[in-house]
Amino acid sequence: MEMKNTSAQIEKENVDYVIQTKGLSKRFLNVVAIDNISVEIRKGEIHCFLGENGAGKTTLSNCLYGYYQPDEGQILYKGRPVNISSPSVAIDLGIGMVHQHFILIEPLTVVENIVIGTEPMGLLPRLDQAEDKIKSLCEIYGIDLPLRAKIWQLSVGQQQWVEILKALYVGVELLILDEPTAVLTPQESERLFDVLQQMKEKDLSIIFITHKLKEVMKVSEKVTILRKGEKVDMVNTTDVTRKDLAHMMVGREVVFRVEKDEIARGKSILEIQNLHVANDMRQEALLGIDLTLYENEILGIAGVAGNGQKELFEALIGVRNVDHGKVILDGETITNHSPRQIMARGIGHVPEDRIKMGLIPDFSVAENLILGHHRNPPVKKGISIDARYIQQFAQECVSSFDIMTPSVNQKTKYLSGGNQQKVILARELKQQPRIILTNQPTRGLDVGVMEYVHRQLLQKRKEGSAILLFSEDLDEIINLSDRIAVLFKGQIMGIFTSDKFSLDEIGLLMAGVKD
Amino acid sequence: MNLLRNYRIEKRSDIGVPAQVLSALVALAVALLVTAILVTVAGGDWKDAFVSLYGGAFGDKGAILESLVRSTPLILTGLAAAIAFRGKIWNIGAEGQFFAGAIGSYWAYLTFEGLPTVLLWMLIFVAGCITGGLFGLLAGVLKAYFNVDEIITTVMTNYIVTYMLALILSGPWKEPGSVYRHTPQVPDYIRLPILASGSRLNLGFLLALLAALLFYYIINKTPLGFEIRALGSNPVASKFKGISVSRTVIMTLLISGAVAGLSGAIELFGSQYRIRMDLSTGYGFTGIIVALLGGLNPLAIIPAGIFFGGLINGSIRMQIITKVPTALISAVQAIILLFLLASQAITRYRIRRIRDVE
Repeated sequence: MEMKNTSAQIEKENVDYVIQTKGLSKRFLNVVAIDNISVEIRKGEIHCFLGENGAGKTTLSNCLYGYYQPDEGQILYKGRPVNISSPSVAIDLGIGMVHQHFILIEPLTVVENIVIGTEPMGLLPRLDQAEDKIKSLCEIYGIDLPLRAKIWQLSVGQQQWVEILKALYVGVELLILDEPTAVLTPQESERLFDVLQQMKEKDLSIIFITHKLKEVMKVSEKVTILRKGEKVDMVNTTDVTRKDLAHMMVGREVVFRVEKDEIARGKSILEIQNLHVANDMRQEALLGIDLTLYENEILGIAGVAGNGQKELFEALIGVRNVDHGKVILDGETITNHSPRQIMARGIGHVPEDRIKMGLIPDFSVAENLILGHHRNPPVKKGISIDARYIQQFAQECVSSFDIMTPSVNQKTKYLSGGNQQKVILARELKQQPRIILTNQPTRGLDVGVMEYVHRQLLQKRKEGSAILLFSEDLDEIINLSDRIAVLFKGQIMGIFTSDKFSLDEIGLLMAGVKD
Repeated sequence: MNLLRNYRIEKRSDIGVPAQVLSALVALAVALLVTAILVTVAGGDWKDAFVSLYGGAFGDKGAILESLVRSTPLILTGLAAAIAFRGKIWNIGAEGQFFAGAIGSYWAYLTFEGLPTVLLWMLIFVAGCITGGLFGLLAGVLKAYFNVDEIITTVMTNYIVTYMLALILSGPWKEPGSVYRHTPQVPDYIRLPILASGSRLNLGFLLALLAALLFYYIINKTPLGFEIRALGSNPVASKFKGISVSRTVIMTLLISGAVAGLSGAIELFGSQYRIRMDLSTGYGFTGIIVALLGGLNPLAIIPAGIFFGGLINGSIRMQIITKVPTALISAVQAIILLFLLASQAITRYRIRRIRDVE
């Protein structure tokens, strides 16, 4: 019914639309990523794709950008059916996309990165003209960027500007931004929103992918809500409230919240004193952190990405050097001990990037489940690894953690993200850790697995573990934590206990505002 | 243009063992085809060349046994390359480590001469492993603690060892009264026992097979092998889970160098009986091709090594009968490597047709 209606409208208003899709579907190995999706984006419109992780926002956009080919359906560009068979076709049409992971060449300058691939350059390229053009683009949209700096010298936020300029340089008419604020501070986000308004006034169309309701309300005129690969609705932003959007996005009335028992915290186990740690660029990322972890307690660390979370996590698990300060476990200093020594003390961890930091993708599930414990009995028997034991151990983990895999000998890279995370959880929690460090434990997981992870963490809290939880998802932090510390520019801005959480105050501290 | 845009190249999700074997066999077949063209262009008869090549390599019992002799150093250097490659550590220095092993074992023979033969053999092999291993260790330490690229250090140490050997063979160890730069032959009693009378097949070949089995055990069953494979697949996660990257890198290069060194000792005492500048005719480098042809799998490296040993052995008869020079075999080896790499790359992808818009 609704479909027919929309199609009729499309016929009438064809000219207005930059891009339309009709019944777009895409499957990956029988998993439906998007199903029968029809969207339309007008000229000079900022249009949000809103949905949870795995809702199909990125898949849909990748189809528009030619990165995937839809299995069914049609794409119309300015009313004309097109076959966007590759990103280069998309760029020729005037469609640009900024991915979550940037595609920049680190040792080259901003100008070189923007120009590369856009025109034949010969052996000795003359970049003056290009630089002038880029400069004027920066002026038009109010972008402030050192054009001759090398990419590696730029912050992540600045690198995103380079990606946006790459699209503007080739003259796109439709720009797709995939979760652009995930890597930005609140201030940088504000600047981005300003620039987007400028673009809109110049009649550019923008697709803004996000799962943050606040941003939708702030930046967009139209919003298409996706859930589990299906389109829920398309509405005018002014016609709805945040609550309406949340309902449509999640499909339930209230935002999910796991039940948490009241437990008195136990004795202190881990003490972090005046910790100073540098980042990869050798700049100070932590400027004297003091924290204490207690048994039976979850301590949440709130903060915008890039304020020292990664450095603190890595320093605590022993892969990053502590320049100054102390980490004390049970009264014994363990500062700068090796990851192996720290693990042996009963500290488990769930890192932020499953594939890169948590798993050996080419290893089987069984092998990943013993990673790190492969030199300890009972895994090691005599001088070799006990194959029978690891099979048996893996079977046990697969059933008790409900890991969906055809076999424990399946390579872990073929598991879904949620099951990969369960492999990591099983590996870490089976060792009965006294302390669990988790960084973004539910990033990119669907609601079901998210709930599962939360339950497991709360169970460990009940059993007496001390848990340090880093998350960019403020809801997650608030739902799980007994105390919340706010991290900003390498410093703890304040610590709240669960009876005194104030979202406003936490938000202000995350932005570095202190009364 | 439009036609091209209807197809795209996609990465395959998984490659099974049969596909890998097939891809290696296809590469071999194509490489032989190109070789045939090469022979024809050079004015030879490719059919005669191949027949005599095969006859010289595997045509009769004598030929087969000699091919096994030739394959011994290749299996060992192939294993040396493969154990490092499994950890994505690129030891290109097997050639130098091979010579270092020969020098070390010869030194041990000179030093411990007079001890019971079996004990002397053991000392010789251990010395070969140690000297070869030392050069691997050097590259390992430089990589682990100073982040020096192992490709550069291992390639450069090849030169160091080769010139060191030239120096030794010009003076101290030179056979008195000889015009050639080589050592005197080692006496009969210390030579490795011959396994089949009338041939040169010696204990060294069995040691090479033993080394392959040992490699299989280490890489698949021990914590060290687990760590080498983990490091090769994901160094970051390995580090996060407590695997010492520097220790593993050093151990891997040490073992790799030791196996290459053992290869030099075995070639010296099993086959050539004296050190010359051409004790190795590029075994260290051919070993890399053998390792890749064997898919870095120790058990597959054995047939790969025998195949290459056969090529080298058969090329002699080919040259005598058809006048096609043995140097062709170097070209064949390179061609095989090229097609092998190409076919592995191709196997990893597939071409898919994109449905047209109706």
